[in-house]
Amino acid sequence: MIPLASIESCFEGMFPSVVCTCSRTGIPNVTYLSIVHRLDDHHVGLSYQFFNKTRTNILENPLAQAIVISPETADQYRLDLRYERTESTGAVFQKMKTRLDAVASQSGMSHVFVLRGVDVYRVLDCRALNPELVAESIPKTEDLKGLEAFTETIAACRDLDTLVGTALEALSRTFGYDNSFIMVPDESAKSLYTLASRGFALSGVGSEVPIGTGMIGVAAERRTAVRTANAVRDAIFARAVRAAVVREGGEGTLETEIALPGLSNAQSVLIVPLVALDRLVGVLCLQSAVAGHFRAADERVAQIIARHLAVAMAILPLRAAAEPEPAAAQGGELTLPGTRAIIKYYRSDHSIFIDGAYLIRGVAGHIFWKLVQAYAGSRRTDFTNKEIRLDTSLRMPDIKDNLETRLILLRRRLLDRCDFITITQIGRGRFHLDVDRELTLEEHS
Amino acid sequence: MTVSIDDVLKAFIEGGVSVSVGTCDSDLAPALARAWGPRVGGDRRSLSLCISAVASGKTLHNLRDNGRVAVTFSLPTSYKTAQIKGYWIETTETTAEDLAAVERHRETFITATEAIGVSRDVVQLYVQRELLSSPVLAKIVIVPEQIFDQTPGPGAGSPLITSPAAS
Repeated sequence: MIPLASIESCFEGMFPSVVCTCSRTGIPNVTYLSIVHRLDDHHVGLSYQFFNKTRTNILENPLAQAIVISPETADQYRLDLRYERTESTGAVFQKMKTRLDAVASQSGMSHVFVLRGVDVYRVLDCRALNPELVAESIPKTEDLKGLEAFTETIAACRDLDTLVGTALEALSRTFGYDNSFIMVPDESAKSLYTLASRGFALSGVGSEVPIGTGMIGVAAERRTAVRTANAVRDAIFARAVRAAVVREGGEGTLETEIALPGLSNAQSVLIVPLVALDRLVGVLCLQSAVAGHFRAADERVAQIIARHLAVAMAILPLRAAAEPEPAAAQGGELTLPGTRAIIKYYRSDHSIFIDGAYLIRGVAGHIFWKLVQAYAGSRRTDFTNKEIRLDTSLRMPDIKDNLETRLILLRRRLLDRCDFITITQIGRGRFHLDVDRELTLEEHS
Repeated sequence: MTVSIDDVLKAFIEGGVSVSVGTCDSDLAPALARAWGPRVGGDRRSLSLCISAVASGKTLHNLRDNGRVAVTFSLPTSYKTAQIKGYWIETTETTAEDLAAVERHRETFITATEAIGVSRDVVQLYVQRELLSSPVLAKIVIVPEQIFDQTPGPGAGSPLITSPAAS
């Protein structure tokens, strides 16, 4: 028997698998499956969602056969299986359930795709369709050297802004994860917003997803990694089921299909929660336009990366808050050329519009308003984190953690959206506001 | 009693679908084989398929032993899936027409798979590896008794056409 670990990539869901069962009277049944999960060296798991012929058959006659395909060599393997049990609790079930729930939520079918259990099969034999012709495939292994380099790089970061930017660059340089973004929870802890990104035409900084909804939201809520190998096929599968639900008159159970943030042609997605000190500090999302780009080994590497990153993200703001800070400098009198820019602030949601274009809202919007007010009133350009943290009018929840991320969000949104106001960090705990046009401030309710 | 394959189903199963044949032996152990070049007979009551003579030896044996067969057709671009259950009537050598159907089928399958974002190189490799592993094909002819809609979703498994005699 071929060891299942040596053909691990066959169990990534890159190609559909096919399963044959037969009734006690000897009538065969053939069905296609998105994925056969390898549970250990002697067991595989198949998802049990609907009561169907396969299930009827295995309860009558436990023997089954599956064919899986290697994405590297395209060799096919036959697995002789014997159904053992169905698990509806435990780590394996939860992991598969989270993945299914994440995809279901993304496609607006959380009431349709429900994992009832994991059917566990013992693998009696595993052999190549033609043993003489099997190509050597080298399973992808964890890149420990890369991990060492990555952790060294992020260990040298002294502030959160540098950390998130450096981490995403290092993921590309070291592991070839070229398209990535980090999202963090907002002040309500009900949504995540993008704090930093790499490898996209638009940075997407500030874009939001609700926690608990969509692939990213479900991964965050469950604090569980979610990985897909072929997002286009997942979407086609979901659309086929959606159409069938509509035909059966179940339209009322459907929710809206959600677009996944990031690459419009993402085939491979790996979402890893960032958890430190038993708290969700964000999610790391990796994407690729290539199907099957992220393997089980990548998921293990990304989990280690995420844990290092999460600890640093949790600790750096605390450290910044504890640092003594220099006094803020005053700006000089200066009249700027060019037309005046109109900055509107709406108190109801702290949203900011510059010359009619939305910039930001929430705590970051409120901070921005304070800064431009100070600038307009006395031409102040240098500020300290501490004075903002102590400004009771901002009423920031969980203040130490949130201030740093809000300032990063604000700085990056300005980079994306405004070419005449910039925020630059000048030493730990201080930052500088550059304004190249005269401002007219308008406050609204 | 047999059922007939209509124009819509004929076009579907002779398109770019993935085709798998299921059988079982006298110990009720199932066996799978990939099939290529499905062709619906002129009377619409039979179907021929080509499978590897060597790599699908167990399938050929099971067919001769008990004749029970299930064939599932699934289109990668839509997940539309149909399953035909019936019985085997003969195994023969392939003809030039059968091999031409296999060639056409492989090309349409590659195109369909490419359309869902799997690179042509990968699918071509898959087809080539299978060709290497099964250079000699055998033709099997089956007679459908039941046809099921297996498209994923709440209606999966419902009969498209069912012979009253079949159980």
